[in-house]
Amino acid sequence: MTRTILAILLGCLPLAAHHAFGGEFDANRPVLLRGKVVKVEWVNPHAWIHVEITKSNGAKEVWMVEGGSPNSLLRKGVTKASLPEGTEVVVDGYQSRDHTVLRANGRNVTFTDGRKLFLGSSGPGEPPKDAVPTDQAKPPSR
Amino acid sequence: MRKQFIIFVLAAAAVVGQTKPYVTPRMPDGHPNLQGTYDLATLTPLERPAGASAVLTKEQAVRLEKAAADRSAEGDKAIKGDRPAPPKGGDGSTGAAGNVGGYNTGWLDPGSSYTVVDGQKRSSIVIDPPDGRVPAIKPEARRRALALIARPTSDTQETNDPALEPAGAYDDPERRPLGERCLLGFASTSGPPALPTYFYNNLHQIVQTKDSVMILTEMVHDARIVRMNAQHLPKTIRKWLGDSVGRWEGDTLVVDTTNFTDKTRFRGSTENLHVVERFTRVDAKTLLYRFTIEDPDTWEKPWTGEYAWPATDSHIYEYACHEANYALTGILRGARLREEEAKK
Repeated sequence: MTRTILAILLGCLPLAAHHAFGGEFDANRPVLLRGKVVKVEWVNPHAWIHVEITKSNGAKEVWMVEGGSPNSLLRKGVTKASLPEGTEVVVDGYQSRDHTVLRANGRNVTFTDGRKLFLGSSGPGEPPKDAVPTDQAKPPSR
Repeated sequence: MRKQFIIFVLAAAAVVGQTKPYVTPRMPDGHPNLQGTYDLATLTPLERPAGASAVLTKEQAVRLEKAAADRSAEGDKAIKGDRPAPPKGGDGSTGAAGNVGGYNTGWLDPGSSYTVVDGQKRSSIVIDPPDGRVPAIKPEARRRALALIARPTSDTQETNDPALEPAGAYDDPERRPLGERCLLGFASTSGPPALPTYFYNNLHQIVQTKDSVMILTEMVHDARIVRMNAQHLPKTIRKWLGDSVGRWEGDTLVVDTTNFTDKTRFRGSTENLHVVERFTRVDAKTLLYRFTIEDPDTWEKPWTGEYAWPATDSHIYEYACHEANYALTGILRGARLREEEAKK
């Protein structure tokens, strides 16, 4: 009985958001972005992380990756210095429905070793000290 | 001897009870000082799930709170750095994530414990009706709501997948939810009634003077000014947050709000919604927030909810929602593209 009630309570926990992700991003355009941070817009309602990738033909592209509200990050001790330019990141998500713009949701934004950004008690968002720098970037998978 | 002992015990209890009496801090005008910043994040949902009791046992609360913590920790875990792109056709996520996923848990701050009122962990914010559920709206209110189905309300959770939204929901910006348009925070966070977002940015600040009380909501940055001992504005003047006037009943601040616009429509109500909120300081770190909702055009009788507002040392940050609301244009542009695709 207790387990049933627990399941009921857990099942009802709502997930809210500022907007409908599915309206903005295209489920048929998955992307994987490997590159370096060139700019972060610490703005509401969503922060945007700009990531420069290098395509297989050598051309560079800068993608905008949507994150959440920066306010909650500030309260966790994240600062503008927490994600410096040049930080290597890996992003998986979906491109905006408008394919003429290079935007994607930050379904997962991690360092190259898979650790998620803005977590951990020792300097949230700092790149790992033993991370191997890499200039390799993969084009978004289509 | 026995009587003396009982008297002794009672006297001792009285002394113990007096060792740490809570003295309500007061303003120069003698009324309780309710000022501070409060974090409304809680795991307690507005409505009680079917089958749950009003009060969680200690064991239930511990298990539920641990489950929430485990879920958060799971989301925080590192994943493969050399992972592939997510699957074409969508990742199967539902609700707000709409088959494309949301963003990492590191961004979120949804609350970690159930609200405590009178020393009890509560399973719902609604306390009256006693089943902890918001009463069903009247048939006429349902008909009204259906006619306006593509006009989202102030408490909209914005969990809709485009495929599930009503026809016309993307036809113009004014049909998008008020939160998405940066007008009011989603989930009635600004209120009244002020409810948790269950997501992030649940902070509220109260600033109090003799003549007015301000309630600042972080999410979408709304400041509600409560005019003390004042009359309501003429009915012709309508406001997004309603017109709030306040009075003291003993040590409780009572805020009475009417004059809503016809755009907020909290849970299907009309512009004649009447909200009475009661703020009571219960200890140095907690306010008790209680609200009663009334709208004869929508519900047969009033209903009431309550939950604790714990004080926090954290800061409210500015939330300039229009600064970078690229999402709204992206959503509307996406809808136009879907229409083009549908024509082919």
